[in-house]
Amino acid sequence: MRIPFHLKSALVAILLCVCILPARPAQAADIKYKRSVERYNVPDVVLINQDGKKVRLQSLLNSDVPVIVDFIYGTCTTICPVLSAGYVNLQRKLDADSKKVRLISITIDPENDSPKVMKEYLKRFRAKPGWDFLTGSRADIDTVMRAFNAYIPDKMSHYPLNLIRMPKGGSWVRLFGLMSTKEFMNEYLLATAK
Amino acid sequence: MKDLIRNKFKHFFRVTFGHALLTVMIPLLFSTFGHAESVPPNDLSHAEIMRLGERMYREGILPSGKVMETFIRGDVAVDSSAFSCSSCHLRAGLGSFEGGVVTPPTTGNKLYKPYRRPPSFGDVADRAGRFIYAKTAVERPPYTRETLATALRFGTDPTGQVFNDVMPRYPLTDRDMSILISYLEALSSEPSPGASSKQFKFATIITDDVSQEDRQALLLPLQTFIAQKNQQMGMFNDFIKFGYSPTIDMQFAFRSATLDIWELKGPPESWPGQLAAYYNANPVFAVLGGISNSDWRPIHEFCEAQRLPCLFPITDFPVVSETDWYTYYFNKGYTQEGEAVARYLNRLETISTETPVLQIIQDSQVGKALAAGFRKVWKECEQQEVTTLTLSSQQLLDQAALDKLLTKHKPEVLILWTDAELLPNLPALVAKLPANGIVFVSSGYLGKKTATIPENVRDRVYITYPYRLTPYVGSKVGGFDAKVPILASSKDFGNRRITSRSIAMLQQTTLQGLNLIYDNLYRDHLLDIMSMQMDVTVRDYERFSFGPGQRYVSKGCYIIQLGPGLDPPLLQRSNWVMY
Repeated sequence: MRIPFHLKSALVAILLCVCILPARPAQAADIKYKRSVERYNVPDVVLINQDGKKVRLQSLLNSDVPVIVDFIYGTCTTICPVLSAGYVNLQRKLDADSKKVRLISITIDPENDSPKVMKEYLKRFRAKPGWDFLTGSRADIDTVMRAFNAYIPDKMSHYPLNLIRMPKGGSWVRLFGLMSTKEFMNEYLLATAK
Repeated sequence: MKDLIRNKFKHFFRVTFGHALLTVMIPLLFSTFGHAESVPPNDLSHAEIMRLGERMYREGILPSGKVMETFIRGDVAVDSSAFSCSSCHLRAGLGSFEGGVVTPPTTGNKLYKPYRRPPSFGDVADRAGRFIYAKTAVERPPYTRETLATALRFGTDPTGQVFNDVMPRYPLTDRDMSILISYLEALSSEPSPGASSKQFKFATIITDDVSQEDRQALLLPLQTFIAQKNQQMGMFNDFIKFGYSPTIDMQFAFRSATLDIWELKGPPESWPGQLAAYYNANPVFAVLGGISNSDWRPIHEFCEAQRLPCLFPITDFPVVSETDWYTYYFNKGYTQEGEAVARYLNRLETISTETPVLQIIQDSQVGKALAAGFRKVWKECEQQEVTTLTLSSQQLLDQAALDKLLTKHKPEVLILWTDAELLPNLPALVAKLPANGIVFVSSGYLGKKTATIPENVRDRVYITYPYRLTPYVGSKVGGFDAKVPILASSKDFGNRRITSRSIAMLQQTTLQGLNLIYDNLYRDHLLDIMSMQMDVTVRDYERFSFGPGQRYVSKGCYIIQLGPGLDPPLLQRSNWVMY
């Protein structure tokens, strides 16, 4: 779509105005996520995936491709759908290479998130294979949250967090905040870098 | 037109001049779209506009039937069938607070007035580095239909302030935008019946199969609650008389309350008519509790049709639905016990797909409800159907016939959805099972007599128990159970816990909703607020948990066994919640 000439002129004028005028106080969209590199001791717990199968968390996370972990729940209103949209878009971007990342969502509402609820959630987001949603006993879920310095006593007080495990060395990139697909993809590429 | 908008929209986010430029560009770019959204479509009836708008708002489906496409954070594409407007702004449109994010109201009443948003996740300090309420609260002037369309498309308010990243941007056509805006204007536009700035009207429902004792057990906490509300209102009025000046907001914390008792008599088929007569004579804001020994369905369906909240009735026969909205239940009743057995068996390592399982159902409403719960979850676990026999209470007392059935089916797992009449014959039944054979029964169905399960078979008998097992240390606020550790015991079998459950319903969940409703007197908003509350520890259940659309707040059920003795200890054999 071509922009008409009068619009282009207006754009130039506006650009000049924007350069001269002081910037508006920072708003939400200006915020960048917080990034740090951490080491975590993954607890030896057995969780249940969306197919009702038992999975040993340590084995699932110990991978030679980057593993991304987030904490969500099936009936979440605000943050989780945004985090999950990030997962979906990463899978889309990687397309045929989607097996080059392992996506893990761990519920923070183990009372409600049964395999059936989790399976329907993944279906709603059109998740491809390679994205697992895990539930378990509250005690095990609490243990996992604590291990990743992500413990919250109640699901309603959660926050947006992505953790990327780098296959080389097994350290984790902790990403606090909501990211664009481009930022998320960049973090993934950094994690795969040699 | 739609493609034009989408292309412009995508182009918009490819531009890298930054948000300041983006903000100033909007009116110019937007001027090329026309203003068709400024009036509702004139070829559709109001009802049709509302229907289509509601579908966009709740389900993320466009009037064309296609899903609404959106973008988050500029380039994160997502379709609205995964999450819609109502996911965050909730059904009543009054918004939510979750995960630190404030989702502002999106009803016409609120959008067309100035608004000041509380601090939210993503807010930052001002240029002086101060991070205080007054500086982070974002104010905006009233929207118009045109500026609202801009906000939905591009995520900027009338002053150009950019929305939080979690708000998707919707590249809608003028016509679709107009339908959605018309729906938002109508959403929660009229207060619900039964509430005013000074008073809530409530009712409770009691059917004629309830004993006088159970009736009093329900009415005692309800009438106490109403008296407390009225006492607080009286106190508030006294403060004013004595010259105390309450803030504007404080008036919303005090309202008087009334409680009607809707007595339902005769067959359940006649209940809808009786309910309608009560309701039409004096519409109430919500139904508080209630009690029946029969199926709650006719009352559930009445409340659903009237969009009338019904909060935690005492019933063992709730309607189990994943989509119905207006009734909150403590749990799924007998269905939940049946589900627990299926989940426990599914994880039992000593059985395989070859293990013969026999389910015997007493031909009764209770037996059928237990079996329905078992069947549903057993199927979800992708297990093969079990052999099921439905027998009358007379047939269940025919020991010889039962022996024949066990000889024929040779079950290793015997599920007995029967009442306590069968218990004296239980040792004979267990004797017919193989050495590793086990039996499942329901403590709800066996009632008080669960404690009389013969001692010589207790190690073979597994019992569903949908109540708290771990010590409850009493409420912090005092009262009948203050700070006294309460341990579950066999004496709890058969106790319907009518008073204690109703107190938890009133003081630990309903009050939260009523206190936070402010001046938004909409029934849907009450349910929205209640659904967003934090988990609650209560006397009778291990945990109440909430969430949008979650309507059965106690999710667990133990499998237990009995220890020895006349007052046997309850031996926990499963987690509270099993998968």
